[in-house]
Amino acid sequence: MNKLCKTISLVLALCFLLASLPLAAGAEEVIDENLTCTITLGNWPADTAPDAEKALFEGYKATMAKQYPNVTLVPDYYSYTLSNYVPMAKGGTAPSIFQPPFTDPQLLISQHLVGDVTDALEAYGVLDKFSPSYVEMLADENGRIYGLPRDGYVLGMHINIELFRQAGLVDEAGLPIYPKTLQEMAEYGQIIKEKTGKAGLVFPASETYGGWLFTNIAWNFGCVGENALEYQDEDGRWVCNFTSPQCIAAMEFMRDLKWKYDILNADATTTDWAGAHSLLGTGEAAMNFAADDSVDQPTANKGLPVQDFALIPFPAGDAGRYALAGGTCYMFAPDITAEQGIALMAYLRIIGKLPFLDDAIIAGMRADYAAKRDRGAPVIPAISAWNDEAYNAAKQAIVDEYSNVDMRLYADFFDSLSEGTITLKSEEPVFAQQLYRELTAVIQRMITREGADVEKALKKAEESFQEYLDDEINDY
Amino acid sequence: MSEKSNRARINGKTGENIKSWLIMLPGLLLMTFFVWEPLFESIRMSLYKTRNVELVRFIGLDNFVSVVGKDDFLQALVNTFTYTFWSLLIGFGLPILLALIIGETRRGKGFFRTAAYLPNMLPGLAVIILWSAFFSGEKSGVLNILLSKLGVPTQSYLTNYHLVIPIIIVIATWKGAGATALIYMAGMSSINAELYEAAAIDGATVWQRILHILLPAIRKLAGTLLILQIISVFQIMYEPMVLTKGGPDNASLSLMQLMWQYAFGGAMNYGKASAVAVIVTLILLAMTAVYSYFNRRESDWE
Repeated sequence: MNKLCKTISLVLALCFLLASLPLAAGAEEVIDENLTCTITLGNWPADTAPDAEKALFEGYKATMAKQYPNVTLVPDYYSYTLSNYVPMAKGGTAPSIFQPPFTDPQLLISQHLVGDVTDALEAYGVLDKFSPSYVEMLADENGRIYGLPRDGYVLGMHINIELFRQAGLVDEAGLPIYPKTLQEMAEYGQIIKEKTGKAGLVFPASETYGGWLFTNIAWNFGCVGENALEYQDEDGRWVCNFTSPQCIAAMEFMRDLKWKYDILNADATTTDWAGAHSLLGTGEAAMNFAADDSVDQPTANKGLPVQDFALIPFPAGDAGRYALAGGTCYMFAPDITAEQGIALMAYLRIIGKLPFLDDAIIAGMRADYAAKRDRGAPVIPAISAWNDEAYNAAKQAIVDEYSNVDMRLYADFFDSLSEGTITLKSEEPVFAQQLYRELTAVIQRMITREGADVEKALKKAEESFQEYLDDEINDY
Repeated sequence: MSEKSNRARINGKTGENIKSWLIMLPGLLLMTFFVWEPLFESIRMSLYKTRNVELVRFIGLDNFVSVVGKDDFLQALVNTFTYTFWSLLIGFGLPILLALIIGETRRGKGFFRTAAYLPNMLPGLAVIILWSAFFSGEKSGVLNILLSKLGVPTQSYLTNYHLVIPIIIVIATWKGAGATALIYMAGMSSINAELYEAAAIDGATVWQRILHILLPAIRKLAGTLLILQIISVFQIMYEPMVLTKGGPDNASLSLMQLMWQYAFGGAMNYGKASAVAVIVTLILLAMTAVYSYFNRRESDWE
């Protein structure tokens, strides 16, 4: 077994090396020898990272050194969290580039903790290729850009087909009969719980996860537009709105999932994102609200065979069909210079994170998909954060080449995006994490106290979050 | 004594004083830099409106008023006292009992001493993860598997707001009791053996020996450990943070965790976080003062 692992590692290392070689070879010529600066690169692979990954990044570094001989790259193992980033940014020790999730950019921008790269993006000609929703997430009120999308995701639902099979919820072709609406989700979950004894739905209701998922349910109950969970009034003040009839209905539905349908996992209030994937992957739960970028979690990481896994669109509610679109982005230290901005764009182009195509980038994608296939993760198309047809088509061609799944198990998810039958929404606009925390507390009350008063709990949460909004924005 | 010799004595004393101060200087500098400065900075920050770690403007006690006025503060305060209550109920007597039992053991004392201390050597997070598997509410939870053998249906433990704090205290006690027992054992070993011999000659039972010799002898030590335990439990944070994330519905939220939430839980409000920290400090200072007062009175009587 060890021998096999070593052989696979070697093959992978070779793939990555091959992928990085043409990159270096094809980019022999100097692009700009006048560009002189030093950039520190967060998320550099640690010494303990697989050799293949380290080799890949060393390849990027070598290419950068050839194309921009006077730009010094300083690798940094830094991995972003909000709590560790703030003192670094204030102390002037933040890496030039780091990778926060899409929940944080607006907070970082409002606190002046990140650098402006608008001019550098314009110089590279990629400003107009951003998906508009991503531009909205990464810009300030003046339209200045502070980040770039690294990858995007759309929230849907992961399915453990084996449990659906045991519950008799499969058609003649053996494909799961999955819920199209939230109501069906509750009913199917009930059938699964009765027939298998396993949770119909795993709902991670700890910390901020519960509120994060609940916003999706609330949108489908109509908490959008004038009934949005937070909005700006005519005077420009941010107002929290948890007590609309739509939000109350959504929370009552949440309560029913526990007390009426009884489909939730036992320890929902202590379950986090990783725990939810674990329960689905190990066959303890049949459904999990999760995105296309985490399909490797229940499969490759927790052992669920890819043929027993499906990704479906987020179930619709009475008021429509909405799903969260988010991801991870690149952001930059607050004190970067214009030269550093240009150098950072050059680095991002080399590692294939800008919508430019060359053989090296395609080879890199190939190596990535081959690695995914080898470790038992589903190879499926990625949702692009760029509106660039050629770039997106090339990626799709490579996916087809390495595909290891029955695409019928994913078709409705991707069709709902391409056909526009699902409306994509970004996270609530201001202080989303705090909003999630307030809502998670309400959800916890609903699913641990049978007679809890939905309206009263939401009212309290609304007052608390309104005070927070007043404190942080309205009266600042 | 002449004026000259007086001056020489004073100079000698001053020289000694300077030497003493020089010896203490590195320690004092480190204390100033790593303990006192952050402490005073925290107090200062609690009086300001902050933007991350920047002080924006002086707002007096507004942070305190805002923090104290929220439901989660009251809940966290009550929870923290509940943690302390359960900790004293479950965890205060147990180390004494352990020390007594191990102390009375004739064979394998070293083994039992090591075994009692072993949980304390495990990394804190590993202990929490271990126990979370034990108390898992799923069918695969260890306790549920054990209870199912007795015909008890699957139960949820960590989502039960009545049980969650006692469970966390059981875990903390499991980890920490052995180390405290060692301190008691050290205290017990310093009791004059002649007292036991005299008691044995007078026909005292084991219970009478414990009651009239051992417990009075360790009373002061127990008093010190009591106040240290209260201070330690009052700062409980990582256990609920990892095991229950403060839930369900804030039922296990502690004051220190609330402070962490203000600072790093998405709010990034260091001013309010500092206000919570100052409140915790004041409560602990008050409790320590009460303890010191009674301790001093007791000493005066003696």
